[in-house]
Amino acid sequence: MKFKHIWTVFKKELTDIIRDRKTLMTSILAPLILMPILLLFVGGSSEQMAREMTENITVALTTESNTPEARAFLEEKLAKQNPDIIIVDAVSDPWQAIQDKKAKLVVELDKDFEAKLASAQPIKMRVLYDRSLTRSSGAVSTLQETVNALNQAIAVERVTALGLDPQILTPVITEPENIARSGDGNLFMMMTLPMLIAMLVSIGGIPAATDLVAGEKERMTLEPLLTTRAGKMSILMGKYLTINVFSFASVLSTLAGMLLAFIIKPSSFSLGQGQLGGFALDPLALVLSLIITLLLGMTFSGVQLALSTYARSFKEGQTYLSLLTFVVMIPAYATMAVMSNEVQLYMFLIPILNTISAFKMILGGVVNYTGLFAAIASSVVYVFLTLALASWMFNKEKYMFRS
Amino acid sequence: MIELKQLVKKFDKALAVDNISFTVNKGEILGLLGENGAGKTTTLRMLATMLTPTSGTALMAGVDIVKDPIKARSRVGILFGGESGLYDRLTVAENIRYFGELNDIPLDVIKERTKKLADIFDMNDYLDKRAGKLSKGMRQKASFARAIIHDPDILLLDEPTSGMDVSAIRDVQDFIMTLKNQGKTVLFSSHTMSEVEKLCDRIAVIHKGKLVAIGTLDQLKQEHGTDNMDELFVKLVGGKS
Repeated sequence: MKFKHIWTVFKKELTDIIRDRKTLMTSILAPLILMPILLLFVGGSSEQMAREMTENITVALTTESNTPEARAFLEEKLAKQNPDIIIVDAVSDPWQAIQDKKAKLVVELDKDFEAKLASAQPIKMRVLYDRSLTRSSGAVSTLQETVNALNQAIAVERVTALGLDPQILTPVITEPENIARSGDGNLFMMMTLPMLIAMLVSIGGIPAATDLVAGEKERMTLEPLLTTRAGKMSILMGKYLTINVFSFASVLSTLAGMLLAFIIKPSSFSLGQGQLGGFALDPLALVLSLIITLLLGMTFSGVQLALSTYARSFKEGQTYLSLLTFVVMIPAYATMAVMSNEVQLYMFLIPILNTISAFKMILGGVVNYTGLFAAIASSVVYVFLTLALASWMFNKEKYMFRS
Repeated sequence: MIELKQLVKKFDKALAVDNISFTVNKGEILGLLGENGAGKTTTLRMLATMLTPTSGTALMAGVDIVKDPIKARSRVGILFGGESGLYDRLTVAENIRYFGELNDIPLDVIKERTKKLADIFDMNDYLDKRAGKLSKGMRQKASFARAIIHDPDILLLDEPTSGMDVSAIRDVQDFIMTLKNQGKTVLFSSHTMSEVEKLCDRIAVIHKGKLVAIGTLDQLKQEHGTDNMDELFVKLVGGKS
C-alpha cells in the first residue's frame, strides 16, 4: 500500500464524482435546499396548529338555547374575560357548523340559567366539540380555562358578599417552577437531529459507493485499474476515503440546510413551541460526539464498499445498498422518542444508536463520559472490522470477477 | 517475451485453464483462438495478474507473475474489450494520466508520452474533451493510449474487435501493427479466424481449458491438410468436443 497511489485514486474519484451532477445533487445540494423547506413547512404548520387551539375561539349557541340573555351572558362573562373567545351566530347543526368552520365550539345553556345563577345554584353549560378536529378539541381547554377563571371570580364575589375572606377558597397554592436544564422547545430537535445525523452519515456515501466498485465493474474500468502498479489495498483505500468524504459532506450539507432554516425562522427548530436552549455545549462532549459520528461514517463506508464489491453490476449494487438504508432506518426510528435521560449504556455500543445517544445527551443537557468513551472504543473496532470485510471481499477473485 | 509454465486455474471445481504452457517470443504477435468459454479470458487475466494461478506460473518479460505480480504489471498493458477502461467524466488526457500515475510514471514523462501518443493516434483535437462525449472510434483510440502510457513490453488484448464495425476493427488492427513495429510482444484473443490470419505470426488454439494446437498458420494448415481457415478451426476445436 502506497500513499502516493491512494492519493491518486482519491483525487481521481473525487473529481469524477464531483463532475457527476446526479450524485452531487442527491448528496449535497438536495439536503441543502430541502431541509429549510421541510423545517419551515413542518414548523410553520405546527405553529399554525398551536395558534388554532388558543386564538380566535369561535363559540356559537345552539338555536334552541339562543336567547338574548344567553348571548349576553356569553358576551359579558366569557368574551370579555378572554378576548380570544368570539361569540358567533347561533347554529342549528353543531357538527356541520364545526366542519364548516363557522364555530370551533357550540354551547348550550340551561333554559333557566339566570334564575339558577341568581340563587347561587350551579348552571350547566354543554360544550359540543369534534374530537377528530384539533382546532375544535384544542379549543375546549381554552374555553375551560376561561370558565374556571369565571367560576373563581363569581366565587370570590359570593364569598365576599357573605363577609368572608376570599382566601378560604384557595387552601393550597401551587407554585410550579421549571428546573429543566434544556429548553422546552428542544424536544423536536432531540428527536430528529440525532437521528438525522446518524442516518445521513451512514447512508450519505451510498451514491459514491455504488459507483466506485459496482459501477467500475460494469464499465469494465476495474480490470485495467487492477493491472496497474497500485496494489489492491491502495485502490481500496482511495475509494474508501472518497466514500467517507461523501458521507460527511451529506451530513454537513444537511446541517447547513438546517442552519439556513434557523436563520430564516428560529422557531422552526422548536416547531414554534417553547424555547430552545440549555444544550450541554461541553466542548469535550461535543468533540467526542463528533468523533463517534466520524467513526460511524467510516464503519458504514466499509460496509458500503463491501456490498458494492459483492455486486455484479451497478443496478445490483443499488439494490443491496438501498437495503442498507432500511437497516439504518430501523434503529434510528425505534429510538426516536427516547429522551436524553433514558439513554442506556448499551446503546453507546451499537452502531447508529451510539451517535444518536451522544447527540440526544448533548441536546438534553446531560453528559455521560463513560458512554461516550465506550462508544469510541467500540466504534474503532467496528471501523476495523468493516474495513477488513471490504478488503477481504476486494481481494477475493470470486467477488471481484463475478459476472 | 511471455512464457506460460503449466498454468492452471480452477474455480471451485471447474477447471478453467488446464496445464497450459507455451511461449510468445519478443516482438511476436500470437493469436489465442478458442470458442467462448474456452479459457482465453481466464488465461489473459492470469497473465495480467488479476487472477492468481491455482498452480504453474508465467514469466512476463522475465518477471514471474506469482512471485512478483506488481513488477510484472509494469511490463504489461491490457485492453480487454474494444473501448474499455475509460472514465466518462474524465478527459482523455486525464484518463491517460491516471493510469500513468498509477504505474509510477513521472508526470513530465506522462505529458511527453501523451503528446506522442496523441500524434500517433491523431487525438490532438479531443485530448481535453471528456471521454463520455466522444465517438466510439475516438474512445477506442483513447483506450489504446491508456493501455500503453507506461510503455509496456507486452500487450494483452482480449477480443479487442468484438462487436465493432469495419472501420473500428481496422483501427484496432492498425494499433496492433503499430505495437509490432515498436517491438512489443502481443498476445491477443479472438474467435475470428480471418483476423488472426491477417495479423498473427503464430496462433495458439485452446479448447476447454487445454492447449490443442500451436504454430504458424502454414504449419497448422499443413498438419491438418486444409487451406480453409474456418475448416481448420473446426478441425482443431470441433473435433475435440
